[in-house]
Amino acid sequence: MIIKKFFLNKVFILIIAACLIQFFSKNSYAVDPEEILQNQEQELRARSISKNIRCMICQNQSIDDSSAPLAKDLRILIRKKIKEGNNNKEVYKFLTDRYGDFILLKPPIKLNTLALWILPFFFFAVGVFIIFWNNKKSKKN
Amino acid sequence: MVPILGNITLWLSLFFAIFQFFISKKNKKIKSIKIGIFGLLACSIISFFLLMFLHVVSDFSVLNVFQNSHTTKPLLYKISGVWGNHEGSMLLWILVLTIFNYFIYKLYNNNNSILILKTLEIQAFITIGFILFTILTSNPFETMSPIQNEGLGFNPILQDPALAIHPPLLYIGYVGFSAAFSIGVATLNLENNNNIPWHRYMKPFVIAAWTFLTIGIAFGSIWAYYELGWGGWWFWDPVENASFMPWLLGTALLHSLLVVEKKKSLQSWVILLSILAFLLSVLGTFLVRSGILTSVHTFALDPSRGIYILIFTAILGSYSLILFGLKSKKYFNTNYFSFFSKEGSILINNILMVIVCSTVFLGTIYPLLIEAFTNNKISVGTPYYNSTIVPIMIPAILIMGIGPILSWGKVDIFRTLKKIFPNILLTGVITLLVFLYYQSYSFIGIVGIILAFWIIFNNMTLLFRKKENLSSGMLIAHLGIGLLILGITGSSVWQIEKIIRMKVNNEIKIEKYNIAFKEINQIKGPNYIALQGSFFVYDEKKKIIAKLKPENRYYPVTNNFTTETSIHTNLLGDLYIVLGEGNIDEGWVVRIYYNPLVAWIWIGALTIFLGGIVSMNYNLKQIRRLS
Amino acid sequence: MIKKQLLTLPSIFFLLILLIFFYLLIIDRNPSEIPSALLNKNVPKFETTSLLTEKKFISSDIFRGEIKLVNFFATWCKPCRDEHNYIKLFDNQEALEVIGVNYKDNPQKAIKWLRELGNPYSNIAVDKKGRIAIDWGVYGIPETFIVNSKGIIKYRHAGPITKKIYKKIIFIINEIE
Repeated sequence: MIIKKFFLNKVFILIIAACLIQFFSKNSYAVDPEEILQNQEQELRARSISKNIRCMICQNQSIDDSSAPLAKDLRILIRKKIKEGNNNKEVYKFLTDRYGDFILLKPPIKLNTLALWILPFFFFAVGVFIIFWNNKKSKKN
Repeated sequence: MVPILGNITLWLSLFFAIFQFFISKKNKKIKSIKIGIFGLLACSIISFFLLMFLHVVSDFSVLNVFQNSHTTKPLLYKISGVWGNHEGSMLLWILVLTIFNYFIYKLYNNNNSILILKTLEIQAFITIGFILFTILTSNPFETMSPIQNEGLGFNPILQDPALAIHPPLLYIGYVGFSAAFSIGVATLNLENNNNIPWHRYMKPFVIAAWTFLTIGIAFGSIWAYYELGWGGWWFWDPVENASFMPWLLGTALLHSLLVVEKKKSLQSWVILLSILAFLLSVLGTFLVRSGILTSVHTFALDPSRGIYILIFTAILGSYSLILFGLKSKKYFNTNYFSFFSKEGSILINNILMVIVCSTVFLGTIYPLLIEAFTNNKISVGTPYYNSTIVPIMIPAILIMGIGPILSWGKVDIFRTLKKIFPNILLTGVITLLVFLYYQSYSFIGIVGIILAFWIIFNNMTLLFRKKENLSSGMLIAHLGIGLLILGITGSSVWQIEKIIRMKVNNEIKIEKYNIAFKEINQIKGPNYIALQGSFFVYDEKKKIIAKLKPENRYYPVTNNFTTETSIHTNLLGDLYIVLGEGNIDEGWVVRIYYNPLVAWIWIGALTIFLGGIVSMNYNLKQIRRLS
Repeated sequence: MIKKQLLTLPSIFFLLILLIFFYLLIIDRNPSEIPSALLNKNVPKFETTSLLTEKKFISSDIFRGEIKLVNFFATWCKPCRDEHNYIKLFDNQEALEVIGVNYKDNPQKAIKWLRELGNPYSNIAVDKKGRIAIDWGVYGIPETFIVNSKGIIKYRHAGPITKKIYKKIIFIINEIE
């Protein structure tokens, strides 16, 4: 009975782990030398885009750092798209059309992320206001 | 037998905590409360060591041992494995809580009895909450049957000295803030008509908490750096953020306490910060253990635990914050600070720390908010934090350079400028030298170096002058931050990466080093087999500097693959090699990084820690004089 | 100068946040599951070979008419094996056609695997390089999609089918026409 409870809790983790182990058995490593484009400017673009794309499997890494096979596939695909003449915006759209905004490490600036991007600057403005107000009031004393 | 004993001591500790709560509520003599305090301490120590015993002897009748241990684990990791899992870590939380509970008790004297008794009451409540949570949802002494022969536990990545010491250090930090919280709430509750200097009693806990939180976070980062294989040491993962937010508020709290002492000002700030710092620590516990989000750090996915912690946090939070809303008015005063004064620079630092903390908080919970209100999922990663936090940190660090030099009250700007002019010059010169050496022009790099040396020189000169009556602990800690910034800037901005395929006997040049791939071997470890590459590193004079041996390991027991990086460290930078896949014909993928100045991150963190210890020492002497 | 009302702000704000967390805890959600970007969009167009027949697999021909269940699988994926019985159960459903996509696999191994475990798929697309999966936003197999009669993707489940998910899918299939 206790083992059943234990397994029910861990089933999810085991499933992910199982998939991961299958993925890692090839032990490939992030940005293989064969992936690197000849054209340096294109390669730099590819690297900078990759650094902003989340690896959907090991969710805290970018595909630039991740050794997961999907990360590799996406890295190669991005380079292919760049060579075909797409600009950065088009490459990003290609990815978000399929994987959603979640795949971007830098949250896009949309209506639903407006608060996310504006609030820090709002906080900063309030803070600066408090500091200057304090300073002004202190001069009066 | 032993698990039953463990259970008994857990229940006993609950009893003692409840005892302490009611007796201190009734304001009885400290002698009666002593029973509760020592009883709590004894029971938590015993139950903790009982669990450790069960792990060390690999008693698989206990579910916790079965899930997390293995007979082949080295002794050190059997021991650290006690707190490397959810249930065991709760026992560690409780242990540290009871130890700090004891320290609060040690502060008691006839003058502060009312305050300390109230503090002990609140601390007892917190302790009850944690013990109840452990008994009801996370009992480490739960048994299982049938008894298995071998345990499930191990993840080789987790068997590491830095990772072993990381949780205890962090918990000292969180629990220290709990003590500060209790003192703050007690002060509000009592309306302090006796004018007890509550802030003097809060200070040692805040310094201790902040100091250990700093080194705890540093150990987590250093582990990530050498273990995870891509040279990163901070990922803005929700759980990392959960430790960073209390640290930020703790920094503000620490500095504000100075102003409270000297100028009787900012008292309301201090009380609010002491409440928020601990609430954020508990919220962090919630994020890690409730299953509300997944991260590499999360312990277990169990919403029922999450609901308990949430309710507990809600009780603590509503009580303390509503109390703050009702009773804090008398702690506000109309002292205003000008920019150019020590208290002004501390106020600016406070505000900036709170802004950074709010931003980290926003970034961490925003994905959850979006998920709750829309059907979308977004992710908030490093680029967000880099864009928002770095610009705010820059003025904070600039001010940190001159803050200590400014005097209390209005300051003569010209005199101050005269004092710091040599440092400005020195900073400029060193920055120029650094850029001639590295020959890479990056704006953020320039800013980082200027800031780092600005702090380093300001504090070093103050440290050696000893003319001014400045706390050396503070100067050492500030110096540490300067070194930290130096390391962060160097390793982030000027990292060199080479990814190539190498066959045996190939060579490659990186920075001023020549690296030769000498051989590849299959080796056998205690519980793994590995492919090990041997790389010789030569300097410009063709002398051998190091032999680096990165490995790809396979652990047959758990079917795990790991990579072990190989690092050569010196003060100027790290050479970091990772072995990828390959074969003898086509060669192997080799990733080589040169991370400039990265060692200064760890040296900086250690220096901050030392500064904190020096401060603690000095502060404890002051406390003794008080009683 | 500080109004008393202002001082109660922290507590209100704090409780609001906790309320949101509480809501997230009690609803049925999987924290690591990501909603598909293709929901309510057309099936991606693709053309490839079919695993078991000589014919080509052309998406525009296949994805019309009956409701389709699309299952991405591979022989090297253990959870795919674990969920296979549920896929076979789907095959028994009326008015539901089960399509397979063989992801990054060895076709011979796949044929053998299906012979051994049973073949619930009326047609199987061969996705040797994984490009088709990327077009569907697949990030880890197995993944299962429901496509309605107009070729619109209505549902995606990432991970193996469990009893709970099986029931959910049956319910969804009965809801859409």
